Amino acid sequence: MNADAIDTLPAIQGETRHESYLQRIRRHFLADSFARNGLRVVLALFVIAALAPFLANSHAIVRVADGRLTFPIFPSLEPIEWRFLLYVPIAAVVYFLRKRFFRRPFLHFLFLLGLIAVIEITLALTHPVNDPTNDRDRPASFKLMPPVPYSPIESTPDPFASPSWKHLCGTDSTGRDIAARMLHGARTSLSIGFIAQSIALLVGVTLGGLAGYYRGWLDIGVCRFIEVMDCFPPLLLILVAISLFASQNNMFYIMAVIGLTSWTGLARLVRGEFLRLGSQPFPQAARALGANDFRVIVRHLLPNALGPILVSATFGVASAILIESSLSFLGFGMQAPTPSWGDILSDARRYIDFAWWLAFFPGLAILITIMSYNFVGEGLRDAVDPRLKVK
Amino acid sequence: MTTYLFRRILLLFPTLFGITLLTFLLIRLSPGNAALLKGGGAEGGRAMTAEVREQMIKLYGLDQPPLIAYAGWVGRSLRLDLGESIVDHQPVTAKIAERLPLTISLAGSALLISYLIAIPLGIAAALKRGQIVDRTISFVVFVLYSIPTFAAALLLILLVAGGDYLNLLPMYGASSVNAPEMGPLAWLWDRVLHMILPVTCLTYASLASISRYSRVSMLEALGQDFVRTARAKGLPERLVIFRHALRNALIPIITIFALELPVLIGGAVIIESIFSLPGMGQLMFQSLDAKDEPVIMGITVLAAVVTLLSYLAADILYVVVDPRITYE
Repeated sequence: MNADAIDTLPAIQGETRHESYLQRIRRHFLADSFARNGLRVVLALFVIAALAPFLANSHAIVRVADGRLTFPIFPSLEPIEWRFLLYVPIAAVVYFLRKRFFRRPFLHFLFLLGLIAVIEITLALTHPVNDPTNDRDRPASFKLMPPVPYSPIESTPDPFASPSWKHLCGTDSTGRDIAARMLHGARTSLSIGFIAQSIALLVGVTLGGLAGYYRGWLDIGVCRFIEVMDCFPPLLLILVAISLFASQNNMFYIMAVIGLTSWTGLARLVRGEFLRLGSQPFPQAARALGANDFRVIVRHLLPNALGPILVSATFGVASAILIESSLSFLGFGMQAPTPSWGDILSDARRYIDFAWWLAFFPGLAILITIMSYNFVGEGLRDAVDPRLKVK
Repeated sequence: MTTYLFRRILLLFPTLFGITLLTFLLIRLSPGNAALLKGGGAEGGRAMTAEVREQMIKLYGLDQPPLIAYAGWVGRSLRLDLGESIVDHQPVTAKIAERLPLTISLAGSALLISYLIAIPLGIAAALKRGQIVDRTISFVVFVLYSIPTFAAALLLILLVAGGDYLNLLPMYGASSVNAPEMGPLAWLWDRVLHMILPVTCLTYASLASISRYSRVSMLEALGQDFVRTARAKGLPERLVIFRHALRNALIPIITIFALELPVLIGGAVIIESIFSLPGMGQLMFQSLDAKDEPVIMGITVLAAVVTLLSYLAADILYVVVDPRITYE
């Protein structure tokens, strides 16, 4: 979008300074202000999703009463919330210490597995305390409430409250706070978008890669299959799959259905890239050096196709989020009481003649999310596009 | 060209076969069936005896193994018999024919309007590349592209149709309640009023992709040698743009209608559901709810044929509008 900024960068440094493919993409990407800010928003959304129970909860984070210090928020956390809370920092630590980590990979992987095992076993043995009392009105000598002092599934006594300081985004028909539902819904939307696209990535890269590498009958078969999947009008296949298996309605099922129906674009792309790269000399050279097919695909072809795959996957996350919210909106998505943006919108539909806040805030949240993902995708595409290199 | 066309048409059949087989197996492998749903007291709580239910299951072939039942369905469809609905025993073709015009007029007018707006926008952006006009158009189009259709539809209803704000347009349905008594002109006007919001919602999303596409296409055309030649021989800029650049830029733009049409039909499903329009989308929801196998299959076939034919039409149009391309 903002290609002018790239012209001002030092152009012929490549000869003096070594710059890897990914570093070059990164430099071009960060030079684009839309892409940079889009990425910031996406990261902020992930932080919000991870911290949702601390941003919107009817339990106090810290409470001092009768001379006792308690943290009422922690016993109420669900296992999935603990996972967000623990695994995200662990992943960050591993990422920042990756050089040291791979110095003794076996030992460190063992340590990591042990850590995960301890966390998972603890989570399996303990059950969240379902405590309906809220700390808003409970007297205490000191308490620190989350910014939005309501739980997403908690009904307050005033339904259809329009936005005010008490309820920032208003309340719905049963008096649930929309701001709280939106914060927790971010988690639903982002994780469904992310995991569904990961499934699509896995299927698409595998099938497209195999078709492009081995060609022949495998290629013809995969291409026919892609064509079949593509000729379902958008949503039709997903709606058929989800509505017919409605009894198994849970988050992972929806992720799987979205992922398994949206891999075709990626498969086409990877197949094309592999066909193009496969006829170049370097995979042949790798084979001559004794590399087997798996190694040629994973170490030589895949890294060279990474840029376009990344671009496509970014747009894919945006469209998966959109599909999820359309499904929830149509009543085929996440079941109540799980908060999701599409679900709030479908509630809005019934009370549309006056409750504008029910449609406006979740709509805005979806818009911002989709737009930032699209900006990131656009920025990546410009950064990956080799035509820019000519300049 | 004829052989190419022939081969392409022959290739439609394996794809259609795959699509219908996949849908059929999905319906069959999912728990429950139409007879169970129908006997579930849906009709005024009148429960069905086990005997009647067994008879129904036999009658509709729901007891056959999926593949044999599918073979039977294929055999009947090849004789152009799509069967009748399990719910109300109407022929599937009649049910679809009743709903189709509305969806077609919805998607068709949305497509037409978005082309009419998008191409000038794209051209304007391309001609003023990098300037404030281009940036504004690109940004607005980008925002439009990211607004979910259903959220936009809800807010539009709230703002201009009924609700506490403006009350200019009808909120739901394809016609007013008293439409049958209206004269033809009044009826048409009533229909147009009802269609404004749904068509607007369908238009803006495809407007975004078409205008982005035409901007890129126009930029590419403007960079070609023949444009420089046209300028060099002293043609006025107007002629350079409209006679030389635009004509060539339009080639890819025209053909993307084939890619937009299936998207529009998919989008129409949501829009019809929001505005309670009795089109194909509503029929699909109803038949999915009732597991009405023949109707679901009929809709799938129709949608797949439309999609496949529009892809084919796009490929043929390429050749028709651009003689440089051949499929020999």
